[in-house]
Amino acid sequence: MTEHGHDHHHPRPDSQVALRARALEALLAEKGLVAADAIDAVVELYERDVGPQNGARVVARAWTDPAFRERLLADGTKAVAELGFGGVEADTLVAVANTPTVHNVVVCTLCSCYPWPVLGLPPTWYKSPPYRARMVAEPRAVLREFGLELPDEVEIRVWDSSAEVRYLVVPMRPAGTDGLTEEALSALVTRDCMIGTAVPQAGSP
Amino acid sequence: MSAAPGARLAEVDAELAGRTALPRDNGELVFEEPWQGRALGMGVVVLERTGASWAEFRRHLAAAIRQHPPEPGESAASAYYAAWLDALEALLTERGLLP
Repeated sequence: MTEHGHDHHHPRPDSQVALRARALEALLAEKGLVAADAIDAVVELYERDVGPQNGARVVARAWTDPAFRERLLADGTKAVAELGFGGVEADTLVAVANTPTVHNVVVCTLCSCYPWPVLGLPPTWYKSPPYRARMVAEPRAVLREFGLELPDEVEIRVWDSSAEVRYLVVPMRPAGTDGLTEEALSALVTRDCMIGTAVPQAGSP
Repeated sequence: MSAAPGARLAEVDAELAGRTALPRDNGELVFEEPWQGRALGMGVVVLERTGASWAEFRRHLAAAIRQHPPEPGESAASAYYAAWLDALEALLTERGLLP
């Protein structure tokens, strides 16, 4: 490849590698190996459809729509399907709501069962033997290590996931969020809030 | 082939766990620039179409990651997906699908 004579900025390494990715994609299309729309489908799915933002939308809806909240707590699988979420591993999704006196947290003591259609992929610590063992034995201490200090009078309920049943924690809506839209509310709901190792903060991302 | 697409990602995740694991932040896949997502998508589709296994791809990916550690100033995701392209090309070359 020859350089053009005129003045130009040096491309960042990313730009070079982006060109390389495009060239490979063009070559694959030319050889009939891969059509662009097949790649589009995969990319779209991975970028948007899988991730804790699905669960965050579920929680935000539950915060703003009491009837939805009721349906969610009665039958999690059916309620999340209303929003278009589901899939093989959400066959039985149980939503458990935090209250001023009950805090829920999810674990999988046997392996790493996780409601990925609503939460995406589990974090590494969720799969770690210490988390799996200790969350059952001493949840209050583990939550403290996550930076979540719960008053003694709050009961902690630990939900053990299985291949058949997955859990989603519905945290309490933080104070001072009355004027927020559903979309803005969903941004407050992090993955950890829905596992139960954190609670949403009004000022958090 | 007709498995739920989400299951495919779970499969990819399981197959590449460890040193060749997909870059993530807070559990979400990291795509800093669109080409990184395209690279991942190409890999998934190429393996489906060629019948190559994730174990085979993983071998090429591990080798590529070893040969090209992140350069100063290069992000982990960028280095990872550059290695991903290396691995994809190596796999296609080995199978006689690329010169």
